[in-house]
Amino acid sequence: MPDATDVVDLPGLPAEQEAAPARRGGATGALGRWLGLGFAPGLAAVVLLAAWEVWVRARDVQEYLLPPPSAVAQALADEPMRYIDASRLSLTAAMGGLLIASAGAFALAVVMAHSRPLERALYPPALMLKVTPIVAIYPLFTIWFGFGIWPKMLIAALITFFPMLVNAVIGLRSVDPQAYDFMRSLDASRWQVFWRLRLPSSLPYVFAALRISVPLSLIGAVVAEFLSGTSGMGQLILIANGDFDTPALFGAVVVLAALGVTLTGAVSYLERRVLTWHESSRGV
Amino acid sequence: MTVTTAAVEVRGLTHRYDSGRETLLALDGVNLDVGEGEFVSLVGPSGCGKTTLLRAVAGLLQPSTGSVGVLGTTPDDARARRVLGLVTQDPGLLPWRSVVANVRLPLEVTGASADVDALLRRVGIERFAGYYPRQLSGGMRQRVALARALAHGPRLLLMDEPFGALDELSREAMRVELLRLWERERISVLFVTHSIREAVLLSDRVVVMSGTPGRVVDEVPVDLGRPRTPALEETAAFAALVSRVRAGLGGQPW
Repeated sequence: MPDATDVVDLPGLPAEQEAAPARRGGATGALGRWLGLGFAPGLAAVVLLAAWEVWVRARDVQEYLLPPPSAVAQALADEPMRYIDASRLSLTAAMGGLLIASAGAFALAVVMAHSRPLERALYPPALMLKVTPIVAIYPLFTIWFGFGIWPKMLIAALITFFPMLVNAVIGLRSVDPQAYDFMRSLDASRWQVFWRLRLPSSLPYVFAALRISVPLSLIGAVVAEFLSGTSGMGQLILIANGDFDTPALFGAVVVLAALGVTLTGAVSYLERRVLTWHESSRGV
Repeated sequence: MTVTTAAVEVRGLTHRYDSGRETLLALDGVNLDVGEGEFVSLVGPSGCGKTTLLRAVAGLLQPSTGSVGVLGTTPDDARARRVLGLVTQDPGLLPWRSVVANVRLPLEVTGASADVDALLRRVGIERFAGYYPRQLSGGMRQRVALARALAHGPRLLLMDEPFGALDELSREAMRVELLRLWERERISVLFVTHSIREAVLLSDRVVVMSGTPGRVVDEVPVDLGRPRTPALEETAAFAALVSRVRAGLGGQPW
């Protein structure tokens, strides 16, 4: 399954790559981490934004083509509730979908990891689901589920289902053969092997899947909102676009980017807390 | 040594590995006995089926033909009765569990109870109880594996090149540790190694195997008395036994 390596090796936030060596370094390490993670990118962002602002003003670029950062900030500050309400809807759809997909995919992965015939039987339909452009299914969902939050949640679920399934199956299979032999020599039950060996072994893969799935779920939710045009950030963007309100459009992009970063960061944080045993082997 | 029940009784064991078109004859008509309380080593070149034989005894592998008796019953039944202790070259410790939690694993699985602290002291790792496997040296990890294998009170210890991945100094230390431990407890041991000297130093009997297909070519009783120390390795009697085992291996370069 080539997807697995793609999925597992996909880089996460820069935070987790650079944080690992710095963590043990005490005061200088913390300073280095602060410089490396906060200061340098922050400075780069400030410089970039300033250049953008200056260039737009100097060339007198039309705001509907490219608004200066100050106009985007103004748009966000003028109507904060508009963005907060829209994000809440999009987040609900994204996280709800992610939750449904992750739970369902993991449960299916448990079944598939225990039975090769079942894996062979279930893998093709799962793969078909993956390669089908999910957007094409959306009209069907509106027929079945209307225009509420459910069809959006389901799009987010469909788009995140496959990464979790593939990673969880591989994770649940990636048990140390020696540890497995030891447990078998004790006549451990399937349940004992699952609970004490398979489940913990799968966690690094599950977290890798989550790091992929979190941004995907946002994409799914926003795309569904585009298509229905009834709620959330997708709708906000559509309206801003129709009004040639480009600052609001940029504002929506900024908010979505911030959501994506925050959620991915939260997953990475959780991963570091849960996988202390795995982290060090990966940090070097 | 008086043998009451055989700890291991292998008769006419043959095993083939099938991989599509090819079949590999790993074991060919092997007989093997380990008496109750006896320490028996299996020595042979890489790929001679030592591990296959040990796994058949552990009930981890169903042999093609032949019979395997373990403590008067079948290997599967022996597993179900939780009388086997397994130590492998790569110890397979659970990396998310501390040393003490790793040693508790067999207790959780079998429902047996044991004084884990005493167990850690027995193998000299009591100071590392709260450490995680990745924080330990290879030798220390094998001590944990040994404590884990003994936790549920097995009657037969199966060791598959347990010191094979260790550096020479750790290896030496582990041999001494195992001798000390075994000479106190006298549980039956089937010990797979490819070190002739290790086999002679530790065992009551050395079973010599030849490669592909795996056959037993010689059995060398080691009448060196106990307790044993590494100083024994300098004696003429030891050298004679080593020569005999080496001769059994057919003068292969060791």
